Amino acid sequence: MTAPAVAFSGVEKTYKRPRLLGAEYNTAVKGLSFEVRPGEVTGLLGLNGAGKTTIMKLITGLLFPTAGRVSVFGHSPADVAAKARVGFLPELPYFPPQVKPAAALAYYGRLSGLSGAELSLAVGSSMHRTGLEPHAGKRISEFSKGMLQRLGLAQALLHKPDLLVLDEPVSGLDPLAIHDIRALLAGLNAEGRAIFLSSHSISEVEKLASRVLIMVRGALAATVTRAQWEASPGGLEKLFVEAVK
Amino acid sequence: MNSLFLVRAVAFNSFSESVRNRFFTLFAVFAFTAVYASVLAGVMAVDQESRVLADFGLALIELTALAYALFGASSALLKEAETKTIYLVFSRPVPRWAYLAGKLGGALLTAGLMLLIMAAMHLSLLAFRGFGPPPFYAWALAGTFLKLAVIVSFAFFVSLFSTSAVSTLVISSIMWTLGHFASEARFLAERLPGLKGTAVSVFLWLIPNLQLFNARDAAGAAAAPGPAVLLPAAAWVAASFLGSLWLLSRKEF
Repeated sequence: MTAPAVAFSGVEKTYKRPRLLGAEYNTAVKGLSFEVRPGEVTGLLGLNGAGKTTIMKLITGLLFPTAGRVSVFGHSPADVAAKARVGFLPELPYFPPQVKPAAALAYYGRLSGLSGAELSLAVGSSMHRTGLEPHAGKRISEFSKGMLQRLGLAQALLHKPDLLVLDEPVSGLDPLAIHDIRALLAGLNAEGRAIFLSSHSISEVEKLASRVLIMVRGALAATVTRAQWEASPGGLEKLFVEAVK
Repeated sequence: MNSLFLVRAVAFNSFSESVRNRFFTLFAVFAFTAVYASVLAGVMAVDQESRVLADFGLALIELTALAYALFGASSALLKEAETKTIYLVFSRPVPRWAYLAGKLGGALLTAGLMLLIMAAMHLSLLAFRGFGPPPFYAWALAGTFLKLAVIVSFAFFVSLFSTSAVSTLVISSIMWTLGHFASEARFLAERLPGLKGTAVSVFLWLIPNLQLFNARDAAGAAAAPGPAVLLPAAAWVAASFLGSLWLLSRKEF
Protein backbone atom coordinates (compact mmCIF):
# COMPACT_ATOMS: atom_id res chain seq x y z
CA MET A 1 0.00 0.00 0.00
CA THR A 2 1.28 3.49 -0.84
CA ALA A 3 2.12 5.59 2.20
CA PRO A 4 0.10 8.80 2.50
CA ALA A 5 1.92 11.95 1.40
CA VAL A 6 1.24 13.41 4.86
CA ALA A 7 -0.17 11.73 7.95
CA PHE A 8 -0.88 13.47 11.26
CA SER A 9 -1.85 11.25 14.18
CA GLY A 10 -2.95 12.92 17.44
CA VAL A 11 -0.50 15.77 16.88
CA GLU A 12 -0.11 18.53 19.40
CA LYS A 13 2.26 21.47 19.20
CA THR A 14 2.78 23.70 22.20
CA TYR A 15 5.12 26.68 22.02
CA LYS A 16 7.14 27.50 25.10
CA ARG A 17 8.09 31.12 25.61
CA PRO A 18 10.58 31.64 28.45
CA ARG A 19 9.66 34.41 30.88
CA LEU A 20 11.60 35.98 33.72
CA LEU A 21 9.92 33.60 36.16
CA GLY A 22 8.98 30.31 34.52
CA ALA A 23 7.56 30.07 31.02
CA GLU A 24 4.42 30.79 29.04
CA TYR A 25 2.84 27.95 27.05
CA ASN A 26 0.68 28.35 23.98
CA THR A 27 -0.91 25.36 22.28
CA ALA A 28 -1.07 26.04 18.54
CA VAL A 29 -2.55 22.71 17.43
CA LYS A 30 -4.01 19.85 19.47
CA GLY A 31 -5.36 16.37 18.80
CA LEU A 32 -4.82 16.78 15.08
CA SER A 33 -5.27 13.74 12.84
CA PHE A 34 -5.60 13.80 9.07
CA GLU A 35 -4.03 12.41 5.90
CA VAL A 36 -3.10 13.86 2.53
CA ARG A 37 -3.06 11.27 -0.22
CA PRO A 38 -0.43 11.26 -2.98
CA GLY A 39 -1.57 13.30 -6.00
CA GLU A 40 -4.32 15.08 -4.04
CA VAL A 41 -4.78 18.85 -3.66
CA THR A 42 -5.73 19.60 -0.07
CA GLY A 43 -6.61 23.07 1.12
CA LEU A 44 -6.14 24.36 4.63
CA LEU A 45 -8.47 27.13 5.75
CA GLY A 46 -8.71 28.93 9.05
CA LEU A 47 -8.73 32.33 10.68
CA ASN A 48 -5.48 34.00 11.83
CA GLY A 49 -3.91 31.98 14.65
CA ALA A 50 -5.81 28.81 13.74
CA GLY A 51 -2.53 26.86 13.40
CA LYS A 52 -2.14 26.74 9.61
CA THR A 53 1.52 27.83 9.49
CA THR A 54 2.34 25.53 12.42
CA ILE A 55 0.98 22.57 10.42
CA MET A 56 3.09 23.59 7.39
CA LYS A 57 6.21 23.80 9.55
CA LEU A 58 5.51 20.43 11.18
CA ILE A 59 5.29 18.84 7.71
CA THR A 60 8.58 20.39 6.61
CA GLY A 61 10.44 19.50 9.80
CA LEU A 62 10.98 23.10 10.89
CA LEU A 63 9.01 22.37 14.07
CA PHE A 64 8.89 19.18 16.14
CA PRO A 65 5.54 17.94 17.51
CA THR A 66 5.06 18.11 21.28
CA ALA A 67 2.89 14.96 21.10
CA GLY A 68 1.59 12.62 18.41
CA ARG A 69 3.22 11.60 15.14
CA VAL A 70 3.76 13.31 11.81
CA SER A 71 4.92 11.33 8.80
CA VAL A 72 5.71 12.36 5.24
CA PHE A 73 5.64 9.51 2.71
CA GLY A 74 6.04 7.17 5.67
CA HIS A 75 9.14 8.93 7.07
CA SER A 76 9.69 11.41 9.86
CA PRO A 77 9.64 14.97 8.41
CA ALA A 78 13.21 15.42 9.70
CA ASP A 79 14.46 12.50 7.57
CA VAL A 80 16.44 13.26 4.43
CA ALA A 81 14.20 10.75 2.59
CA ALA A 82 11.11 12.84 3.42
CA LYS A 83 12.70 16.23 2.73
CA ALA A 84 13.94 15.12 -0.69
CA ARG A 85 10.30 14.63 -1.76
CA VAL A 86 8.92 17.91 -0.40
CA GLY A 87 8.96 21.41 -1.90
CA PHE A 88 8.06 24.25 0.47
CA LEU A 89 6.93 27.78 -0.28
CA PRO A 90 6.76 29.81 2.94
CA GLU A 91 4.67 32.95 3.20
CA LEU A 92 6.63 35.97 1.87
CA PRO A 93 9.86 34.16 0.97
CA TYR A 94 13.09 36.20 1.13
CA PHE A 95 15.92 36.09 -1.39
CA PRO A 96 19.16 38.10 -1.37
CA PRO A 97 18.32 41.26 -3.34
CA GLN A 98 21.69 41.67 -5.07
CA VAL A 99 21.64 38.40 -7.05
CA LYS A 100 19.79 37.35 -10.18
CA PRO A 101 17.03 34.71 -9.95
CA ALA A 102 19.09 31.96 -11.61
CA ALA A 103 21.86 32.39 -9.01
CA ALA A 104 19.40 32.18 -6.12
CA LEU A 105 17.78 29.10 -7.65
CA ALA A 106 21.17 27.49 -8.30
CA TYR A 107 21.99 27.77 -4.58
CA TYR A 108 18.75 26.10 -3.52
CA GLY A 109 19.19 23.51 -6.25
CA ARG A 110 22.61 22.60 -4.84
CA LEU A 111 21.05 22.27 -1.39
CA SER A 112 18.58 19.84 -2.94
CA GLY A 113 21.51 17.75 -4.17
CA LEU A 114 21.53 18.90 -7.79
CA SER A 115 24.75 19.70 -9.63
CA GLY A 116 26.23 20.20 -13.09
CA ALA A 117 23.96 19.84 -16.12
CA GLU A 118 21.10 18.52 -13.97
CA LEU A 119 21.20 21.72 -11.90
CA SER A 120 21.26 23.99 -14.98
CA LEU A 121 18.33 22.08 -16.44
CA ALA A 122 16.33 22.28 -13.20
CA VAL A 123 16.95 26.04 -12.85
CA GLY A 124 15.95 26.68 -16.47
CA SER A 125 12.86 24.50 -16.20
CA SER A 126 11.70 26.10 -12.92
CA MET A 127 12.14 29.59 -14.36
CA HIS A 128 10.25 28.61 -17.48
CA ARG A 129 7.35 27.04 -15.59
CA THR A 130 6.94 30.00 -13.26
CA GLY A 131 7.21 32.59 -16.05
CA LEU A 132 10.47 34.07 -14.75
CA GLU A 133 12.45 33.65 -17.97
CA PRO A 134 11.75 37.20 -19.27
CA HIS A 135 13.10 38.56 -15.95
CA ALA A 136 16.25 36.45 -15.86
CA GLY A 137 18.50 39.49 -16.38
CA LYS A 138 17.06 41.47 -13.47
CA ARG A 139 18.36 41.51 -9.93
CA ILE A 140 15.94 40.28 -7.26
CA SER A 141 15.87 43.81 -5.77
CA GLU A 142 13.97 44.85 -8.93
CA PHE A 143 11.32 42.14 -8.49
CA SER A 144 7.67 42.91 -7.70
CA LYS A 145 5.83 40.92 -5.02
CA GLY A 146 4.29 38.73 -7.72
CA MET A 147 7.69 37.94 -9.21
CA LEU A 148 9.10 37.12 -5.77
CA GLN A 149 6.22 34.73 -5.22
CA ARG A 150 6.96 33.09 -8.59
CA LEU A 151 10.60 32.79 -7.55
CA GLY A 152 9.48 31.23 -4.27
CA LEU A 153 7.48 28.70 -6.19
CA ALA A 154 10.38 28.09 -8.60
CA GLN A 155 12.72 27.15 -5.72
CA ALA A 156 10.10 24.73 -4.41
CA LEU A 157 9.89 23.00 -7.81
CA LEU A 158 13.63 22.60 -8.48
CA HIS A 159 13.98 19.01 -7.31
CA LYS A 160 10.62 17.86 -8.77
CA PRO A 161 9.03 17.14 -5.37
CA ASP A 162 6.12 14.72 -4.96
CA LEU A 163 4.52 17.00 -2.39
CA LEU A 164 4.27 20.80 -2.53
CA VAL A 165 3.57 22.58 0.75
CA LEU A 166 2.44 26.12 -0.03
CA ASP A 167 1.76 28.72 2.64
CA GLU A 168 -0.45 31.48 1.20
CA PRO A 169 0.80 31.05 -2.39
CA VAL A 170 -1.39 33.83 -3.85
CA SER A 171 -1.34 36.28 -0.94
CA GLY A 172 -1.13 39.90 -2.14
CA LEU A 173 -0.84 39.05 -5.84
CA ASP A 174 -2.61 40.79 -8.70
CA PRO A 175 -5.36 38.88 -10.58
CA LEU A 176 -3.13 37.98 -13.52
CA ALA A 177 -0.42 36.55 -11.25
CA ILE A 178 -3.08 34.62 -9.32
CA HIS A 179 -4.41 33.22 -12.60
CA ASP A 180 -0.92 32.15 -13.72
CA ILE A 181 -0.03 30.53 -10.41
CA ARG A 182 -3.36 28.72 -10.28
CA ALA A 183 -2.73 27.33 -13.78
CA LEU A 184 0.78 26.28 -12.76
CA LEU A 185 -0.48 24.48 -9.65
CA ALA A 186 -3.20 22.74 -11.63
CA GLY A 187 -0.52 21.60 -14.10
CA LEU A 188 1.68 20.28 -11.32
CA ASN A 189 -1.22 18.37 -9.82
CA ALA A 190 -2.02 16.90 -13.24
CA GLU A 191 1.54 15.48 -13.20
CA GLY A 192 0.59 13.58 -10.05
CA ARG A 193 2.12 15.84 -7.40
CA ALA A 194 0.26 16.28 -4.13
CA ILE A 195 -0.35 19.89 -3.10
CA PHE A 196 -1.08 21.04 0.42
CA LEU A 197 -1.89 24.73 0.47
CA SER A 198 -3.10 27.17 3.08
CA SER A 199 -4.88 30.35 2.15
CA HIS A 200 -7.17 33.06 3.43
CA SER A 201 -8.80 33.13 0.01
CA ILE A 202 -11.69 30.66 0.09
CA SER A 203 -12.37 31.11 -3.63
CA GLU A 204 -8.79 30.14 -4.53
CA VAL A 205 -8.86 27.02 -2.41
CA GLU A 206 -12.28 26.20 -3.83
CA LYS A 207 -10.92 26.35 -7.39
CA LEU A 208 -7.90 24.13 -6.76
CA ALA A 209 -8.55 21.72 -3.92
CA SER A 210 -10.44 18.46 -3.94
CA ARG A 211 -10.66 18.47 -0.15
CA VAL A 212 -10.43 21.21 2.47
CA LEU A 213 -9.48 21.06 6.14
CA ILE A 214 -10.98 23.83 8.27
CA MET A 215 -9.00 24.70 11.39
CA VAL A 216 -10.48 26.49 14.39
CA ARG A 217 -8.23 27.48 17.31
CA GLY A 218 -5.74 24.70 16.67
CA ALA A 219 -8.24 21.90 16.14
CA LEU A 220 -9.63 20.36 12.98
CA ALA A 221 -13.25 21.64 12.90
CA ALA A 222 -14.31 20.11 9.60
CA THR A 223 -13.11 18.22 6.54
CA VAL A 224 -15.08 19.12 3.45
CA THR A 225 -14.83 17.39 0.07
CA ARG A 226 -15.44 19.05 -3.29
CA ALA A 227 -18.67 17.07 -3.71
CA GLN A 228 -19.94 18.39 -0.36
CA TRP A 229 -19.31 22.07 -1.06
CA GLU A 230 -20.61 21.77 -4.62
CA ALA A 231 -23.83 20.31 -3.23
CA SER A 232 -24.12 23.02 -0.59
CA PRO A 233 -26.19 26.10 -1.58
CA GLY A 234 -23.69 28.61 -0.16
CA GLY A 235 -20.64 26.70 -1.39
CA LEU A 236 -17.42 26.38 0.58
CA GLU A 237 -17.70 29.88 2.03
CA LYS A 238 -20.93 29.05 3.87
CA LEU A 239 -19.49 25.79 5.20
CA PHE A 240 -16.38 27.62 6.35
CA VAL A 241 -18.36 30.35 8.15
CA GLU A 242 -20.51 27.72 9.87
CA ALA A 243 -17.42 25.87 11.01
CA VAL A 244 -15.50 28.83 12.44
CA LYS A 245 -18.43 30.74 14.06
CA MET B 1 23.96 13.06 -1.19
CA ASN B 2 27.48 14.18 -0.43
CA SER B 3 27.35 16.29 2.74
CA LEU B 4 30.66 17.96 1.92
CA PHE B 5 29.08 19.22 -1.29
CA LEU B 6 26.37 20.84 0.86
CA VAL B 7 28.95 22.36 3.23
CA ARG B 8 30.75 23.88 0.25
CA ALA B 9 27.49 25.23 -1.25
CA VAL B 10 26.50 26.93 2.03
CA ALA B 11 30.05 28.26 2.59
CA PHE B 12 30.40 29.79 -0.87
CA ASN B 13 26.91 31.26 -0.75
CA SER B 14 27.63 32.78 2.65
CA PHE B 15 31.01 34.10 1.45
CA SER B 16 29.51 35.57 -1.72
CA GLU B 17 26.66 37.28 0.19
CA SER B 18 29.07 38.77 2.73
CA VAL B 19 31.47 40.09 0.11
CA ARG B 20 28.60 41.65 -1.86
CA ASN B 21 27.27 43.30 1.31
CA ARG B 22 28.09 47.01 1.61
CA PHE B 23 29.58 46.45 5.08
CA PHE B 24 32.47 44.59 3.49
CA THR B 25 33.36 47.65 1.41
CA LEU B 26 32.77 49.99 4.37
CA PHE B 27 35.14 48.01 6.58
CA ALA B 28 37.75 47.86 3.81
CA VAL B 29 37.56 51.66 3.38
CA PHE B 30 37.80 52.13 7.15
CA ALA B 31 40.81 49.81 7.29
CA PHE B 32 42.49 51.69 4.44
CA THR B 33 41.98 55.01 6.26
CA ALA B 34 43.17 53.63 9.60
CA VAL B 35 46.23 51.86 8.18
CA TYR B 36 47.34 54.88 6.15
CA ALA B 37 46.65 57.25 9.09
CA SER B 38 49.21 55.23 11.07
CA VAL B 39 51.89 56.87 8.91
CA LEU B 40 51.64 59.82 11.35
CA ALA B 41 52.61 57.58 14.27
CA GLY B 42 55.52 56.26 12.19
CA VAL B 43 56.79 59.75 11.44
CA MET B 44 56.67 60.64 15.16
CA ALA B 45 58.69 57.53 15.98
CA VAL B 46 61.64 58.98 13.98
CA ASP B 47 64.30 56.21 13.82
CA GLN B 48 61.85 53.48 14.94
CA GLU B 49 59.44 54.22 12.09
CA SER B 50 59.65 50.75 10.51
CA ARG B 51 58.88 48.98 13.80
CA VAL B 52 56.07 51.36 14.75
CA LEU B 53 54.46 51.15 11.32
CA ALA B 54 54.61 47.35 11.37
CA ASP B 55 53.23 46.99 14.94
CA PHE B 56 50.64 49.72 14.62
CA GLY B 57 49.42 48.37 11.27
CA LEU B 58 49.17 44.78 12.50
CA ALA B 59 47.24 45.89 15.59
CA LEU B 60 44.82 47.88 13.44
CA ILE B 61 44.42 44.95 11.06
CA GLU B 62 43.60 42.63 13.94
CA LEU B 63 41.09 44.98 15.55
CA THR B 64 39.35 45.83 12.28
CA ALA B 65 39.22 42.19 11.19
CA LEU B 66 37.88 41.24 14.63
CA ALA B 67 35.16 43.91 14.47
CA TYR B 68 34.19 42.82 10.95
CA ALA B 69 34.24 39.09 11.70
CA LEU B 70 32.25 39.47 14.93
CA PHE B 71 29.75 41.75 13.24
CA GLY B 72 29.18 39.12 10.56
CA ALA B 73 29.22 36.08 12.85
CA SER B 74 26.84 37.50 15.44
CA SER B 75 24.13 38.17 12.86
CA ALA B 76 24.75 35.30 10.39
CA LEU B 77 22.33 32.78 11.87
CA LEU B 78 19.95 35.34 13.37
CA LYS B 79 19.49 37.11 10.02
CA GLU B 80 18.66 33.87 8.24
CA ALA B 81 16.06 33.05 10.89
CA GLU B 82 14.56 36.55 10.80
CA THR B 83 14.33 36.68 7.00
CA LYS B 84 13.01 33.09 6.99
CA THR B 85 15.73 32.10 4.52
CA ILE B 86 16.44 29.26 6.88
CA TYR B 87 13.00 27.77 6.06
CA LEU B 88 14.17 27.22 2.49
CA VAL B 89 17.35 25.54 3.75
CA PHE B 90 16.02 23.28 6.50
CA SER B 91 12.98 22.19 4.49
CA ARG B 92 15.57 20.60 2.15
CA PRO B 93 17.71 17.51 2.84
CA VAL B 94 20.45 19.58 4.50
CA PRO B 95 21.83 18.17 7.79
CA ARG B 96 22.12 20.85 10.44
CA TRP B 97 25.82 20.11 10.97
CA ALA B 98 26.48 20.70 7.26
CA TYR B 99 24.65 24.02 7.36
CA LEU B 100 26.52 25.12 10.48
CA ALA B 101 29.89 24.05 9.06
CA GLY B 102 29.10 25.89 5.82
CA LYS B 103 28.12 29.11 7.60
CA LEU B 104 31.24 28.94 9.76
CA GLY B 105 33.39 28.21 6.72
CA GLY B 106 31.82 31.13 4.86
CA ALA B 107 32.42 33.49 7.79
CA LEU B 108 36.07 32.41 8.03
CA LEU B 109 36.60 32.73 4.28
CA THR B 110 35.24 36.28 4.39
CA ALA B 111 37.33 37.16 7.44
CA GLY B 112 40.40 35.68 5.71
CA LEU B 113 39.77 37.75 2.59
CA MET B 114 39.32 40.90 4.68
CA LEU B 115 42.60 40.09 6.45
CA LEU B 116 44.43 39.66 3.12
CA ILE B 117 43.04 42.94 1.73
CA MET B 118 44.15 44.82 4.84
CA ALA B 119 47.56 43.13 4.75
CA ALA B 120 47.97 44.25 1.13
CA MET B 121 47.13 47.84 2.18
CA HIS B 122 49.59 47.63 5.05
CA LEU B 123 52.41 46.19 2.95
CA SER B 124 51.82 48.87 0.32
CA LEU B 125 52.18 51.51 3.05
CA LEU B 126 55.42 49.93 4.29
CA ALA B 127 56.74 49.84 0.70
CA PHE B 128 55.66 53.45 0.19
CA ARG B 129 57.78 54.42 3.22
CA GLY B 130 60.69 52.37 1.88
CA PHE B 131 60.43 49.33 4.19
CA GLY B 132 60.04 45.64 3.41
CA PRO B 133 57.70 43.28 5.28
CA PRO B 134 58.94 42.33 8.77
CA PRO B 135 60.20 38.72 9.06
CA PHE B 136 57.33 37.54 11.30
CA TYR B 137 54.64 39.08 9.11
CA ALA B 138 53.04 35.91 7.70
CA TRP B 139 52.96 34.32 11.16
CA ALA B 140 51.37 37.45 12.61
CA LEU B 141 48.60 37.25 10.02
CA ALA B 142 48.21 33.50 10.57
CA GLY B 143 47.99 34.08 14.33
CA THR B 144 45.33 36.76 13.82
CA PHE B 145 43.38 34.40 11.58
CA LEU B 146 43.51 31.66 14.22
CA LYS B 147 42.22 34.12 16.83
CA LEU B 148 39.41 35.06 14.45
CA ALA B 149 38.57 31.39 13.89
CA VAL B 150 38.33 30.79 17.64
CA ILE B 151 36.25 33.89 18.39
CA VAL B 152 33.98 33.60 15.33
CA SER B 153 33.07 30.00 16.20
CA PHE B 154 32.43 31.14 19.78
CA ALA B 155 30.19 33.95 18.45
CA PHE B 156 28.20 31.37 16.43
CA PHE B 157 27.68 29.39 19.63
CA VAL B 158 26.56 32.45 21.61
CA SER B 159 24.26 33.64 18.80
CA LEU B 160 22.25 30.45 19.15
CA PHE B 161 21.09 31.28 22.67
CA SER B 162 21.45 35.05 22.96
CA THR B 163 18.48 37.28 22.27
CA SER B 164 20.13 39.72 19.86
CA ALA B 165 23.16 40.27 17.65
CA VAL B 166 24.30 43.06 20.01
CA SER B 167 24.42 40.75 23.03
CA THR B 168 26.39 38.18 20.97
CA LEU B 169 28.79 40.92 19.92
CA VAL B 170 29.27 42.09 23.52
CA ILE B 171 29.72 38.58 24.99
CA SER B 172 32.19 37.59 22.23
CA SER B 173 34.16 40.82 22.65
CA ILE B 174 34.42 40.15 26.38
CA MET B 175 35.68 36.63 25.61
CA TRP B 176 38.23 38.04 23.16
CA THR B 177 39.49 40.47 25.83
CA LEU B 178 39.60 37.75 28.52
CA GLY B 179 41.43 35.50 26.08
CA HIS B 180 44.30 37.97 25.99
CA PHE B 181 44.69 37.78 29.77
CA ALA B 182 44.21 34.01 30.10
CA SER B 183 47.75 33.29 31.36
CA GLU B 184 47.67 36.06 33.96
CA ALA B 185 44.19 35.03 35.10
CA ARG B 186 45.31 31.38 35.47
CA PHE B 187 48.41 32.47 37.40
CA LEU B 188 46.25 34.47 39.83
CA ALA B 189 43.66 31.67 40.10
CA GLU B 190 46.39 29.19 41.15
CA ARG B 191 47.09 31.44 44.12
CA LEU B 192 43.49 31.50 45.31
CA PRO B 193 43.02 29.20 48.31
CA GLY B 194 40.81 26.09 48.46
CA LEU B 195 37.62 25.44 46.54
CA LYS B 196 37.45 29.02 45.32
CA GLY B 197 40.75 28.63 43.51
CA THR B 198 39.73 25.29 41.97
CA ALA B 199 36.40 26.70 40.77
CA VAL B 200 38.04 29.77 39.21
CA SER B 201 40.75 27.60 37.60
CA VAL B 202 38.15 25.29 36.03
CA PHE B 203 36.20 28.29 34.74
CA LEU B 204 39.35 29.83 33.28
CA TRP B 205 40.09 26.67 31.28
CA LEU B 206 36.92 27.43 29.33
CA ILE B 207 38.46 30.68 28.13
CA PRO B 208 40.60 30.31 25.00
CA ASN B 209 44.18 31.46 25.51
CA LEU B 210 44.47 33.88 22.61
CA GLN B 211 47.98 34.86 23.70
CA LEU B 212 49.16 31.64 22.11
CA PHE B 213 48.53 33.15 18.69
CA ASN B 214 50.26 36.48 19.34
CA ALA B 215 53.13 36.39 16.86
CA ARG B 216 53.86 40.04 17.55
CA ASP B 217 54.67 39.27 21.23
CA ALA B 218 56.98 36.44 20.24
CA ALA B 219 58.64 38.34 17.44
CA GLY B 220 60.81 40.33 19.86
CA ALA B 221 62.21 37.06 21.14
CA ALA B 222 62.64 35.82 17.59
CA ALA B 223 60.36 32.89 18.33
CA ALA B 224 57.17 33.19 16.36
CA PRO B 225 54.47 30.61 17.14
CA GLY B 226 54.92 27.37 15.25
CA PRO B 227 52.40 25.01 13.64
CA ALA B 228 51.74 23.50 17.08
CA VAL B 229 49.35 26.38 17.85
CA LEU B 230 46.97 24.94 15.28
CA LEU B 231 46.03 22.25 17.79
CA PRO B 232 44.59 24.50 20.54
CA ALA B 233 42.89 26.63 17.87
CA ALA B 234 41.29 23.53 16.32
CA ALA B 235 40.24 22.29 19.78
CA TRP B 236 38.49 25.58 20.67
CA VAL B 237 36.82 25.82 17.26
CA ALA B 238 35.65 22.19 17.51
CA ALA B 239 34.31 22.72 21.05
CA SER B 240 32.34 25.80 19.97
CA PHE B 241 31.13 23.97 16.86
CA LEU B 242 29.87 21.00 18.86
CA GLY B 243 28.16 23.33 21.35
CA SER B 244 26.53 25.21 18.47
CA LEU B 245 25.42 21.98 16.83
CA TRP B 246 23.86 20.78 20.07
CA LEU B 247 21.84 24.00 20.29
CA LEU B 248 20.98 24.13 16.57
CA SER B 249 19.77 20.53 16.46
CA ARG B 250 17.19 21.38 19.13
CA LYS B 251 16.17 24.68 17.62
CA GLU B 252 12.80 25.16 15.93
CA PHE B 253 12.07 27.76 13.29
